[in-house]
Amino acid sequence: MSNQRQASSASQVPHLSPAELSYLYTSLSLPKTPIRPDGRSPTQFRPLTAETNILPGTNGSARIGFADGTQAIVGVKAEVEKTVLSNETLARNDGGAGHEHGDQEGSAAVGGHGSWVQMSIEIPGFRDDDALPVFLSEMMRESLVGAVGTDETSDMTGGLKGRLVINKRWHWRLYIDVLLLSQPLAYPLPLLSLTTHLALLSTKLPKLKSQGEEDPFFDDDWAVAEYLYPRPSLSSGGKKSARSSFVRPPVTLLVISVGDNIIFDPNREEIAVADAVLAISITRDSEAGNLKLLSIRTVDPPSRLTPPGVPNSENVSMLGAVAPTEDVAVLNPATGEEEVPGVWRPRRGGVKRSVIAEMVKTALKKGGVGEEVLEGLEGVEVS
Amino acid sequence: MGIIILPPVVEDIIPHHDESDDSMSVDSDEDVEMSGVRAPKRARIGNQTVSTGVVTPGEVVTDDPQWMRGHGTYMTPLSTSIIATVAGTVHKTNKLLSVHPLRARYTPEIGDLVIGRIVEVQSKRWKVDVAAPLLAQLPLSAINLPGGILRRRTSSDELQIRTFFSEGDLVVAEVQSVHQDGSASLHTRSLKYGKLRNGVFLAVTGTGGSGASSSTTKGGVGDGSLRPGASSGMGGVVRSRRQVWTVNTHNGGGEVDVILGVNGYIWISKHADGAAAASSTTENVSITRMEEMVSTSIYSSQNDVIAPQTRREIARLAQCIQVLVQGGVRVDEETVMGAYEASLQVDLEVGDDEDEDEETRHEGREYLEGAKSRRILELVVQHVK
Repeated sequence: MSNQRQASSASQVPHLSPAELSYLYTSLSLPKTPIRPDGRSPTQFRPLTAETNILPGTNGSARIGFADGTQAIVGVKAEVEKTVLSNETLARNDGGAGHEHGDQEGSAAVGGHGSWVQMSIEIPGFRDDDALPVFLSEMMRESLVGAVGTDETSDMTGGLKGRLVINKRWHWRLYIDVLLLSQPLAYPLPLLSLTTHLALLSTKLPKLKSQGEEDPFFDDDWAVAEYLYPRPSLSSGGKKSARSSFVRPPVTLLVISVGDNIIFDPNREEIAVADAVLAISITRDSEAGNLKLLSIRTVDPPSRLTPPGVPNSENVSMLGAVAPTEDVAVLNPATGEEEVPGVWRPRRGGVKRSVIAEMVKTALKKGGVGEEVLEGLEGVEVS
Repeated sequence: MGIIILPPVVEDIIPHHDESDDSMSVDSDEDVEMSGVRAPKRARIGNQTVSTGVVTPGEVVTDDPQWMRGHGTYMTPLSTSIIATVAGTVHKTNKLLSVHPLRARYTPEIGDLVIGRIVEVQSKRWKVDVAAPLLAQLPLSAINLPGGILRRRTSSDELQIRTFFSEGDLVVAEVQSVHQDGSASLHTRSLKYGKLRNGVFLAVTGTGGSGASSSTTKGGVGDGSLRPGASSGMGGVVRSRRQVWTVNTHNGGGEVDVILGVNGYIWISKHADGAAAASSTTENVSITRMEEMVSTSIYSSQNDVIAPQTRREIARLAQCIQVLVQGGVRVDEETVMGAYEASLQVDLEVGDDEDEDEETRHEGREYLEGAKSRRILELVVQHVK
């Protein structure tokens, strides 16, 4: 029963005793220098192993393994599909050929459509209609199709959606299948997101031979296939892809706040004491190389469900051992609640504005965590 | 240096004939002395008939009738072939073939010091997870009452059973008896035992093991079988003389207690000095009441004030143990202390190399991974040898 409850709250909480939780929380909330149980700095990620193009039958695939043993495989398949035009779009197409790129709602034929990207997530121990996989896939798909390129002249106008348009009548449909190979030890979002990012980076689409509004016809030669997200190192891509090479698929980072500290890539013990858990999606989509915030989602912090500790003064088995004045409740500045130091109180949720601002800043700033992650993934050899 | 992405490591599959020489001389205790005389002949037999290296359940280890079957194997009545029942490495002791599992659950034995987590509270007992196949039980009658009072457990004790231990709490206990089905009964009738606080918990593999497996690891040190990443199945906590000790930590960390549960659960906490703890809670305690005062705090779930330095050293110790486990080295007092000293030494070495950028370098310096962990393993292996 309790397993089910934990599953729906989107978090696998390890059973921890109040004393452990209190120790962890205090360590992590030490001002300026949190002490993480594994000695990492607040913004440091666990080392991971990554490889791409591991599945021969896909357009692009990747595998990432975290040091804790969790690993995920992502395969991306593309399929040509006929664009179904709504009446309204047809009417407008008749009226005038020229469209504005920003006008995406009605002009699916030009701007692309979000439903062209399908994502399914498979997590062992969960049904595919369970809350966790559905929530995760929607969260990742949303940021994927939501990313919009600002450069008007490049291939990547309109972000991924725009890239999927072949011509007015045809488009690509992407199927992204995410498979978590291990038990979800911690909240699996960062792992799945990084793997998806890498798979999309390695995804190739066959080179189009037909032109304009003809029925699409592709080059048989896989060697000349083009990357879905053009790579900067590609010499054959020419000027166009070089220009749009800065557009990258989004990554979703899991960030927690403990006290006033902000911690990236939390392991499951750290998530268990978090005041707030946020999933921040970022991407790079402009020439300047600045990162852009796509979405922030709050994730139900599991600390809500943890058992509370009993202060010595209220402990029945310690009656008479403690002087009554010993435990003085202190106001926790982060939560605004009164707490006895050394005693765990389950978090009630809520996070300060300044903390969220700080989280976003740390993720987005130049040379910040987001940039490091994107660079790291860019560095993975895509063969 | 926020993120490190490594290429995948292809774990080399050890060819049969390569390994068999090693395993002959290393894995069987008795063979070590006489290996000069008999090893060549044995090795030949081993090569031909006994599959060495890692076997999987159901795999035929050998069909040569000269071998006797040991742990982790079975024989069908109609044939002479010995079949593995667990995934693990083949070990030979004279003519006895056994398969040591790569990973196994803990098998309780009377007298083991274990750390467990309460998973269920029943009316007269607790059910405790000790990483064994079955939950262990801790009867209400097998704990110390607060204040050390000796009396029969009454129904009021049963009613307030959760004030002693409740779900999620960690206890250190001793195995009092082992039942027919292999489940254990625990007791905490000593001031050493009881609820755990002021520290961190970590779980590594612990099969209980035996002296033999630890000595094999020792013997295997020289020939590179201890290389990081190669899980020889020998890592983890084994039964040893001292499971509990106090570390005098460096960097102003003070004293830190380490408890290695035979079941692979480990607790690292700030040293609780009995007398000091008692006098900190009440001012004037007569020497006769001292014990009573200590034992009243055994059911507290409130942490003491712990200095950041101590927390840092506790984290370092925890990581050292992780490094040992990942390297497939057994975990006991000797190796843990060796790893701790080594980690300090490695920090000094690294500190000399990377002085240029003080501020950024210090970030994440405490994280023991990759090169650092390899160096620590090297030093530990040297030390233990």
